[in-house]
Amino acid sequence: MLRLNMEKKRDKTVTKQVYFQGAFKILRPHYLDNSGQACYFLINPGGGYLDGDRYRMEITLEEHAELILTTQSATKVYRTPYTPVLQESEIVLKKGSILEYIPDPLIAYRNAKFKQNTIIRMESGATLFYSDILTPGWSPDGEWFRYDLLQLKNEIYLDEELVLFDHLKLQPIEAGVNGIGYMEGYTHLGSMIVISDKVNEDVLQRLYNVIEKDLDECKAGMSLLTEGGFTVRILAHSTQKIEELIAKCSTFLRKEWYDRQPVTLRKY
Amino acid sequence: MDNYLLSLFQLCDSNLPTGAFSHSFGLETYIQENKVHDKDSFSEWLQMYVLGQLVYTDGLACRLAFEGLEQSDAQSIWSLDRKITVQALPRETREGTHKIGERMLTIGNDLYPSPLLTLYKEKTRNGEAFGHPAIVFTIIAHQLKIPLNVILSTYLYSSISSLTQNAVRGIPLGQTAGQFILRDIQQWITKAVEQIRTMDIADFGAVAPGLEISQMKHERVLIRIFMS
Repeated sequence: MLRLNMEKKRDKTVTKQVYFQGAFKILRPHYLDNSGQACYFLINPGGGYLDGDRYRMEITLEEHAELILTTQSATKVYRTPYTPVLQESEIVLKKGSILEYIPDPLIAYRNAKFKQNTIIRMESGATLFYSDILTPGWSPDGEWFRYDLLQLKNEIYLDEELVLFDHLKLQPIEAGVNGIGYMEGYTHLGSMIVISDKVNEDVLQRLYNVIEKDLDECKAGMSLLTEGGFTVRILAHSTQKIEELIAKCSTFLRKEWYDRQPVTLRKY
Repeated sequence: MDNYLLSLFQLCDSNLPTGAFSHSFGLETYIQENKVHDKDSFSEWLQMYVLGQLVYTDGLACRLAFEGLEQSDAQSIWSLDRKITVQALPRETREGTHKIGERMLTIGNDLYPSPLLTLYKEKTRNGEAFGHPAIVFTIIAHQLKIPLNVILSTYLYSSISSLTQNAVRGIPLGQTAGQFILRDIQQWITKAVEQIRTMDIADFGAVAPGLEISQMKHERVLIRIFMS
């Protein structure tokens, strides 16, 4: 369980309330540049997620608070023969706040079952950059592990109206999942969601022009939502490829909208 | 003969002017990349489209709309309308479905009017609802007292039949090959109906990621005969 509430004091985003219990931990906030945007590293349970584990995260950004939330390392899900691991998150973004959520990949090992439900409630004028990467683990003999189930749902509400419902359900044990329409021979799946009233067709086209030359060795698409936002979906053979594309998108938008430098997270 | 049968033929007829013939829902991307190029590769694609996407979206939406109508729960219809619309992340697929839904609402309102359908149309005009073909079809069919199994199989058949005609034009395939596919797909429709009826509603909206990306990529396909 993790509860985090951030607020803006003068030019700086500071912690209003923080509470954690059980396996989830966070360190003190960092400030990566002089913009006043706080950055928290989430520390996953050391041994990884096991059968029946349940985690809950509640994040609130008060008006104009700005936060980068990331993880210290990949999230590992091990064999879960009985009850899937469940991670629930509820994120509230008030007017003018900015959340950049950039976790490390989720690695699912043999027979892993993992479910994630994320609900994000935004007020208009708030901005969200959300990404995730799903990967299978390697087995000692160099084969990709076959996890049983990865099921991730995102619901995003803007002024209490549902604006995005994203549901990925991957079950490699089912026939045909490597074939056409599903993973299509790729192993890694990345997603990015950007919600902001600054998003329009022109921004998306210019972003596409920036990343177009890097679209070899993967299959990627991007598209506008009904209002103020877009999504990117990437199939690739490696985490690096997806991280590179997501970082390019983030770098372009940070420069374009806030005249800020790219996020550089020194973790290791 | 069931007295709804002829109405059902009319609703599923490809001559019903819904505009479905303009949409490939990502198929054209696969055709351009030469991943779908003949009867067998299209048949494989179509099975994936039905069992990997349609059952979780339109199929389950038909069932949920039907259950809402049985309980006279109009509110559940409006929230379903929004949920299934925002669930489609690829813009062309979402907007194409929306156009088909709007046309079906207009035709349905003229041919088989009901207070709920009129309200749905009004809400769509005022921007309070989107208009989704699976929901419009179910409202009309429910009013004609058509049972759920029949609604599900005919809705799926009608979607598949439009796509197959589009494949015949787009790949292209022979007319006879198209008819073979429509015969062979019947066993998959039976399977899909069973799956929809027993599905956990928590499975709503699950996507096949490769298909979804192809639907997004269609926005940048240069030579196109379809709008999605």
